[in-house]
Amino acid sequence: MKTQNIVATLSRREALYGLGTGIGSLAFSSLAQAENIHSIGPHLTAKAKRCIFLMMEGGPSHIDTFDPKPELAKRHLQRFKRNGERESAMSSGERYFVKSPFGFKKAGKCGADFSSEWYHLKNYADDICFYRGCQVESVNHPTACYHVNTGNRFGGDPAVGAWITYGLGTLNENLPGFVVLPRASYPQGGASNWSNGFLPAEYQGTPLRPEGSPILDLNLPTGMTRGDQRGNLDLLAQLNKKHFQQRPQQDELKARMSSYELAYRMQMEVPGILDIDGETEKTREAYGIGDLKTDAFGRKCLLARRLVEKGVRFVQAYAGNWDSHDYISRAHGSLIRSVDKPIAALLGDLKARGLLEDTLVVWCGEFGRTPDNGIRGGGTSYGRDHNPKAMTMWFAGGGTKAGHTIGATDDIGAEAIECVHHIRDVHCTWLNLLGLDDNKLTYYHAGRYKQLSQFGGEVIKDLIA
Amino acid sequence: MFVRVHILSLIFFISGFSKEPTAGEKLFSLHLKPLFAEKCMACHGDDPEKIKSDFDMRTRESILRGGEIFEDEVLIPGQGNKSYLYLLSTRVEEDLEMPPKESDKLTYEETGWIRQWIDHGAPWPSEQRITEIQDKYAEGVQVVTSKALSDDWQNRRYKEEKLWAYRPLKVEKMPAGEHPVDWFINRRLKRVGLKHAPDASARELVRRLSYGLTGLPPHPKEVRKFEKDFNQSKKALSTYAKKLMNSPHYGEHFARHWLDVARYADSGGFANDYSRPNAWRYRDYVVRAFNHDKPYDQFVKEQLAGDEINPNQTENLIATGFLRMGPWEQTGMSVFKETRQLWLDDVTDSVGQAFLAHAMQCAKCHDHKFDPVPTRDYYGMMAVFSTTQFAERNASFLPSEPRNNFDSFTALVQSKITSYEKQKRDLQEKINRLRKEETGSAKVGDNGLDPGDEASQSRIYKNLIRHQIELDRVQPFTHAVYTGKTITRNNVQGRLDMPNSPWQKGYFDSDVIYDGGDVYSEGDTVIPGGLSAAESLGKMDSTPFPAGKGKRRLALAKWIVDKKNPLTARVMVNRIWSWHFGRGLAGNPNNFGGTGELPTHPALLDYLADWFMKNGWSVKKLNYLILSSDTYRRSSRHPDPKSLDEKDPKRQFYACFIPRRLVAEEIRDSMLWASGELNPMVGGIPVRPDINSEVAFQPRQIMGGTASVYEPDPLPQQRNRRTLYAEKLRGLRDPFMEAFNQPGSDASCELRESSTVAPQALTLLNAEEVQDRALAFAARLLREQKSDPAVIQRAFELSLGRKATGEEVVACVMRWKSALKSENKKKPVHPSFPKKIKRTVMAEKTGEPYDFWEFLPASTSYQPDLQRSQTDARTRGLAHVCLVLFNSNEFAYLD
Repeated sequence: MKTQNIVATLSRREALYGLGTGIGSLAFSSLAQAENIHSIGPHLTAKAKRCIFLMMEGGPSHIDTFDPKPELAKRHLQRFKRNGERESAMSSGERYFVKSPFGFKKAGKCGADFSSEWYHLKNYADDICFYRGCQVESVNHPTACYHVNTGNRFGGDPAVGAWITYGLGTLNENLPGFVVLPRASYPQGGASNWSNGFLPAEYQGTPLRPEGSPILDLNLPTGMTRGDQRGNLDLLAQLNKKHFQQRPQQDELKARMSSYELAYRMQMEVPGILDIDGETEKTREAYGIGDLKTDAFGRKCLLARRLVEKGVRFVQAYAGNWDSHDYISRAHGSLIRSVDKPIAALLGDLKARGLLEDTLVVWCGEFGRTPDNGIRGGGTSYGRDHNPKAMTMWFAGGGTKAGHTIGATDDIGAEAIECVHHIRDVHCTWLNLLGLDDNKLTYYHAGRYKQLSQFGGEVIKDLIA
Repeated sequence: MFVRVHILSLIFFISGFSKEPTAGEKLFSLHLKPLFAEKCMACHGDDPEKIKSDFDMRTRESILRGGEIFEDEVLIPGQGNKSYLYLLSTRVEEDLEMPPKESDKLTYEETGWIRQWIDHGAPWPSEQRITEIQDKYAEGVQVVTSKALSDDWQNRRYKEEKLWAYRPLKVEKMPAGEHPVDWFINRRLKRVGLKHAPDASARELVRRLSYGLTGLPPHPKEVRKFEKDFNQSKKALSTYAKKLMNSPHYGEHFARHWLDVARYADSGGFANDYSRPNAWRYRDYVVRAFNHDKPYDQFVKEQLAGDEINPNQTENLIATGFLRMGPWEQTGMSVFKETRQLWLDDVTDSVGQAFLAHAMQCAKCHDHKFDPVPTRDYYGMMAVFSTTQFAERNASFLPSEPRNNFDSFTALVQSKITSYEKQKRDLQEKINRLRKEETGSAKVGDNGLDPGDEASQSRIYKNLIRHQIELDRVQPFTHAVYTGKTITRNNVQGRLDMPNSPWQKGYFDSDVIYDGGDVYSEGDTVIPGGLSAAESLGKMDSTPFPAGKGKRRLALAKWIVDKKNPLTARVMVNRIWSWHFGRGLAGNPNNFGGTGELPTHPALLDYLADWFMKNGWSVKKLNYLILSSDTYRRSSRHPDPKSLDEKDPKRQFYACFIPRRLVAEEIRDSMLWASGELNPMVGGIPVRPDINSEVAFQPRQIMGGTASVYEPDPLPQQRNRRTLYAEKLRGLRDPFMEAFNQPGSDASCELRESSTVAPQALTLLNAEEVQDRALAFAARLLREQKSDPAVIQRAFELSLGRKATGEEVVACVMRWKSALKSENKKKPVHPSFPKKIKRTVMAEKTGEPYDFWEFLPASTSYQPDLQRSQTDARTRGLAHVCLVLFNSNEFAYLD
């Protein structure tokens, strides 16, 4: 093929920066092998090589999942008033406490707490490191999501996945380094949640859409055959070649020519990568695929495993919406069940394949929930508002302290009181586990060197094995 | 106090230098004192309450004592190589590199100072002696600023070269008869011994000019005329440039540049992403400003303080929309004081970046790390805006504001409202029928209702509000500001009215420094003001700004456009230069501080800045001056590439023109232009073009539910306008634009990027919108030409601005024929456009998915662009060739 020559003459730098980690750098597999491509890290000895981030959008309640608060049962429906300059309309006025509708059980040798709705995940209690000390700053969904995803409440900055791919490169040039598995409806704040921000465009998260075409415009348009397209690409190559011959100094023209061949191959290869029909029935069942309740997130978890196995550096999968202001029992009940089996299967699968050791799995929302609620629709609702001061997140694999619960919240779950850290410290720890130093992983933009933690933070050593 | 100081200076006077300072003393006073202050003290002494690792660097004794990790081995006088103060600074100890941030790391020279100072016994002279030594020996420049948070910062010194932007313009005299651009550029080329490229060809130039000034390709007739004229006289270029600048499309193109800086959008972003229905009037104001060549100083003043200058001038009110362009919302979940502060921070930073090339945010929490911008200046500039309030102000439409499509837009939104109202009624009826008395056990379904219905109720309610807000688009309001007291607001949805008396209700925001940037931590009082370093180094006359109920913004605007302000003209001239050449004379058009790239041709920048002001701040005149230079005409191909690579690897000397890829908007506009579908109408309410239907139909979460579906405008002539007019929603970006590096509207964009990634190829090969253009282009060609070769020739002229070569004609005709064969076998079906779509989203109350139907009332009158089913195989076959041309490098790149 004509383009082979072009590819061969592409300098390494062009190959890497021109097309690099954008999805579909398939032509470069021979060049790239399985080494780290254009990484600026790692800076440290890495415990994890890759990461799966299970983003529980909407803000799951720690009180009803992993952080039991018996004290709330005593105060159930006790009323009080709250006002103040720093309170939003949501958190002001008449309030009442709400107990958790769920019972709690200890699981594993470590005796971790699980609410009764978790049937499957509790089998992996000893593989999980629960963390109850994190605090965020924002009580609003988009700003809090931006904060957890990008370190900046107001959006516009690179996502964790973008930073990590920037720092470590990709392990497989045939795939993007950072893949996002969103729900059909994107989270509040939209695609800025997986933005490359000020980093080069190739570090942007590539969303694989759950419905329709997984990547926009991946499919041939109506009425176009593969043969038609090949004919068009050949004419294109002919015109471009002549144009390029007159401008041999213009590297970007070469890169652009190659990108068309890459796009052509992507159209044929990407669907195969995403096709989970090849997995065994047993595996599919384990992930809950085929069962309406668990199918959506089960597919994401299975796809996440397939992608990291193929060398994708960072996969983010969305589940939600956990924003249960009204009926914790039903809403959180169904949500927990929708993710419980898939996540358990994912952990089991990673373990069985020897991947969990160096794969960091992170589970969190953008904030936790309050032990109390406001008047809803004129009456009482057993739900909870947003709580930036307390939440539960957990980690598995990747060098985290398995079988431990770190930090604690007060006796009603209103505020973290032990091992309390700002989300920026979680970000620093996250990078650290992947062998990256937040203070070194910087990018010069708008007058200063920017970093994920914004202005620096500390690694939470308690979370690291 | 006075007496004591007096006595001290007397002692100095008598004693002078009691003895010459030692090398160690000099090292400490001149280098280490300021170095420690800048790099170490933030964690090791500035805040005695929070000293990291118990290591205090405030005194020699405390350093000798050491800290948690190292004790007396930190500082061993006489043994630099063994002292950990030195060792850690060289970053040899993993995890203990100091300072911790890589970007703060000390240079080899700096660590050397530490080692030598210790070798010299680590002397620590008294404060007086340090001052003495500094006064006598220090290099670098001290800058007078308002007042720093710390003395060390106040006294620190800057490298002269980093202060270039604050110094008054240095205007060099130039030999008569020389073109200033060429004179300065060629002088530099000569100095580096680099020959410049010859002129580009007429055909390259005509495209460069046309895109450069209007963002559109030249008409084939223009190309032919220009080629003929240019070959007779180079003056043809100036004539053509003038003609282009008289076209209304010039203003559109330059507005696009400015709107990148202002980060224009038609919605507010965040959780609701509510429409900003009147923002379009600001967009058109910018178009008019460039078309009428509004003097730049006036342009600045109107955007900052139009209302304070004269609120009865509609144009003035519209212009202040600039101040509200950033993302912003206030909902029941946010604290007003914080969102108010969010805006104050945003406006301070964006005014700094846009007009003064200063990222002000860097000085919000501490005095600026690199530039002479103390935190006090940040809050001084913020105080300028503390009496600025939002309002949708009454401003009747100007004759120059087109009101086309007002009725059709209203009808469209109204049809959505009607549809939702009907759904609301039906749902309410059902709910009334089913609702049961609640038992008080607060369970889902206890009220007898379907949770999906309850979710729909809130979704419909929210979308009704959203569409009601949109209706204001055709009302004579403008997205503006006024001066008055701040009124607390819990939930801002839609229009904010002007109060009758702006000073009655509400409160004054505090004009203070917020310590550490925390809005609940009030520090020193500040007075409104500009950048104090620009005043002192630029030798500006400093006139105090009014406070209280005074016109603070007008004062700032006047300060910015003061001819003695060293930054303003430089900043704009640099932007204009970057719009023509793809890079600024100073490499960061939004950052003239010490961390921005230094200007490559400072003398030229100053000359042009001075020239700009002397020529009435006229952007058109400046364009004309730049475009009439030899430099602008240069070919993008250098005859001696080796010498170019060697002597100008960064391509900053303008020996040849830097080729560029078309920006996202230019790509779409050029396709519409070639296909003959482009409606060239200038201005008016935002249009809704066809976008990728999967993205259009994708449910979009907003607070309280799912936003109603994106529906394109019904008629082709409404949709197929220049991309500038496409409705810009922060929460729903056009994936085509995004793929080709159109910046988001969250942050100011100083210059477009241009990456090359495979998804761009997918877009141009497969996107329906590109297919449509190729088909319409083919149909147009066949309407205009008969013979196959003539068709191909015309296709090249309209897409690439040139004739095809014989070889190209043959290749294209061959492709056409084989495509024709393939198309002959197909029977395209006319696509149907859905009247309603089913959507599945999560119900908040159940945590389970539910379905609902979303009606698309606008689609009942939707007329698609030319469809495959409406064309013959010959047209469809030719469309393949057209598609290839749209994908070609020559189409996408300008020489």
